[in-house]
Amino acid sequence: MPPGRDKLNLRRSGAHLGLMVLLLLAGACSRPESDRFAPVPNVLRISQRNEPSDLDPATAALPDEFFIIRALSEGLVVPVRGADPQPAAAASWDISADGLRYTFHLRPDGVWSNGEAVTAQDFVDSFRRVLSPATAARKAELFFSVKNARAFLSGNLKDFNAVGFHATDARTLIVTLDRPSLGFLRYAASGPWIPVNPRVVQREGRTWTSPGSYVGNGPYLLQEWLPGQRIIVRKNPLYRQAAAIHLQEIRFIRLDDGESEDRSYRAGEIDLTMGVPEDKLRVYAKDRPNELHRAALLETRYLAFNTQREPLNDSRVRQALSLALDRQRLVHDVLHGGQIPARWILPGATSNEHPALPSGYDREQEQARALLRAAGFPNGQNFPRLELSEPVSWQSTLVLEAIQAMWKQTLGIEMAIAVREARVHVAALRSGRYDIGFITLIPDVDDPVAVLRDFTTASPNNYPHWSDRNYDALVEQAGQSGDPGAQRHFLREAQARLLDAQPLAPLYFNTQNWLMRPYVHGWQQDALWNRYYPGLWLDKR
Amino acid sequence: MLRFIGRRLLESIPVMLIIITGTFFMQRFVPGGPFTAEKAVTPEVQRNLEAYYHLNDPLWKQYRDYLWDLTPKRFHPQALASGLDLKAAFGIDFRPSFKYPNRTVNEIIADKLPVSLELGAWSLAVALVFGLTLGILAAIRRNTWIDYMCSSLAMVGICVPTFVLGPLLVLALAIHLGWFNASGWYSPIDRVLPCATLGSVYAAYIARLTRGGVLEVLNQDYIRTARAKGASETRIILKHALRGGLLPVVSFLGPAVAGILTGSFVIETIFQIPGLGREFVNSAFNRDYTLVLGTVILYAGLIVICNLAVDVVQVWLNPKLKFE
Repeated sequence: MPPGRDKLNLRRSGAHLGLMVLLLLAGACSRPESDRFAPVPNVLRISQRNEPSDLDPATAALPDEFFIIRALSEGLVVPVRGADPQPAAAASWDISADGLRYTFHLRPDGVWSNGEAVTAQDFVDSFRRVLSPATAARKAELFFSVKNARAFLSGNLKDFNAVGFHATDARTLIVTLDRPSLGFLRYAASGPWIPVNPRVVQREGRTWTSPGSYVGNGPYLLQEWLPGQRIIVRKNPLYRQAAAIHLQEIRFIRLDDGESEDRSYRAGEIDLTMGVPEDKLRVYAKDRPNELHRAALLETRYLAFNTQREPLNDSRVRQALSLALDRQRLVHDVLHGGQIPARWILPGATSNEHPALPSGYDREQEQARALLRAAGFPNGQNFPRLELSEPVSWQSTLVLEAIQAMWKQTLGIEMAIAVREARVHVAALRSGRYDIGFITLIPDVDDPVAVLRDFTTASPNNYPHWSDRNYDALVEQAGQSGDPGAQRHFLREAQARLLDAQPLAPLYFNTQNWLMRPYVHGWQQDALWNRYYPGLWLDKR
Repeated sequence: MLRFIGRRLLESIPVMLIIITGTFFMQRFVPGGPFTAEKAVTPEVQRNLEAYYHLNDPLWKQYRDYLWDLTPKRFHPQALASGLDLKAAFGIDFRPSFKYPNRTVNEIIADKLPVSLELGAWSLAVALVFGLTLGILAAIRRNTWIDYMCSSLAMVGICVPTFVLGPLLVLALAIHLGWFNASGWYSPIDRVLPCATLGSVYAAYIARLTRGGVLEVLNQDYIRTARAKGASETRIILKHALRGGLLPVVSFLGPAVAGILTGSFVIETIFQIPGLGREFVNSAFNRDYTLVLGTVILYAGLIVICNLAVDVVQVWLNPKLKFE
């Protein structure tokens, strides 16, 4: 291209931009005062990345839905980061000696936002609603440790009185379990255990969750819900600890993706983001260190090997593939988000004892090559071209491309990457039509038994389609065990067995990176995205 | 003309039926369902969910029941005055959404379609005002610097996609200058950036089509006749040349309106506009069977109507064409 032409093009695009600016200037003159620009005292504006399907705790399934539900209502106990669940609607509880009976004592000052008292019967009715087959509650599984809950859900048991929920008086709720469950309180703190006002649900029907109808027992009231735009909650003056609620309003602003969230934050329209785009992490760490926050999540990312396919049915091949991964480099050179390299499957916060990290990546590479040779593929010769399957997402593509390069470099084998739409990816993994799949494991509650149960023979989450009777028995024993020491032992054994057979290769434990204005104080969110809003305050001076 | 319109509307019934049937069955054969998630639900819950949404019925029965719900059963267009409720007006029931159990697809469409229509209408206005002005200017000042500027502007407009232009405008005018909000759809000022972005692409196409159309007409004998009779240049352009020169623009407008309506997804995502385009695309990811069908049917209906309107306007503009 001649240089003169180049210049002309530049001038033309300059003219174009100039015209656009003029055009927009004309529009800007009529700009009214927008409430979103003036700093509003005591109003917190949070990015809401997913539109809630509904605000009904019985049918909600995503953390994003509970972001709002937890502002509107509270359960018997609430989850807290790094600690046991704390009292909420229940002031205290007693546990029977055999660990099967929990007696919850409700607060005397617990009221619904319509003024009615919160009673133990309200909880029983709420739980009956969750477990009724007609409700089709997705997370009903979180009630399965309660006596007969599963039978009632499947429709085999019709009489709810046989299920382990009983209100002995207005403020006493007895929950009977069918086996001792060490983590039971964590289940009771989970979202689906949040009660609803049964009279309101009965009266209003399917639209009871709309503003004006919603009745909760939480710190905030549902004020406005513009689907796809925003949800506003305002302080509930009847809340039991109304004095601890310092914010007048919380606005959940709907933003589709990390990029628009980032733009809105920089334009001053939100105070808190859900995440930070990976490619901007280092810039923010340098430019806005006091606004960039990081916290560990209970989220394990791993590669599932399809153990039903050759050559992945050979555990030596799986071990070689896992050993050839340099997880340290993956985390430091690819992700930049403070993720923790994972050699085991239980996230840090759930497992108390980890196998020690083997030393030296160089030695592991040697080991990996030797294993592959033993399996009949010296230097990767004759190794079939397998496919790495991943759902559409920016982060996983970066990771998989790095893994592809590591395997080629260390083992001399070629892999293809197949990017699939999220549900197509999951459907392929579940039906076993894949070679190696990228998975994100997020348990519903902080319970190591539930995490390991995913890889038992009958589990629908057993993506490697791997089966080991001894492993199944160990996980079952861990679940039955009422003694913490014994449970730890079974968990350790089970995890060791899993990593020995290597139907999967753990990659890293994920973290949340987010931006938050310096004037936001008292932000509380646990490693499973459960938020706790009382105690939040803003210092906008 | 009424017979022409009537016949075209009758012809569209089998078209719609094919679209409905195709969409209904195709989405059922796509892997993954509305309840597919990385964390699977237990078999009991899966059974309860399928019973709740009647997914355990045989597929032909689901299809038959759905078609019956779609069939118009009454005719009260006056009900549309109080809101876009297709059930109250025509008895068309798109059923509850799979993803949003507390809302029906009728309610979602009534809520979101007006937003998309408003976005589309303003963008089209931007496109027409700027496209026609630039195109006419370029045509009457052919081969001058005005023509070159207008034409290169149009070329740039066609080449820069909305997903580049949108964020650039936000970066410059919202984040750095603070004149606009980066996203949202609350006040009139929030309409400026999205409509300018979406409109600019179509303005570029319209400018090029107008220039070509008007240039061709300006060489016709009847223009020379008008000049010979002493008509003013303004009158020649606006009265004589435009009528013929706009024909290519009008035939472009049919697909353009459809494109603006269904293609607003990108703009709605960049600027967080609660329109139907965003729901349409997300419903496919969510396997929200009823919402996918409802939006497909609605868009198909709108496109049929747009094409019909374009045909009618073309006959009116061009006396050489006849309704047949």
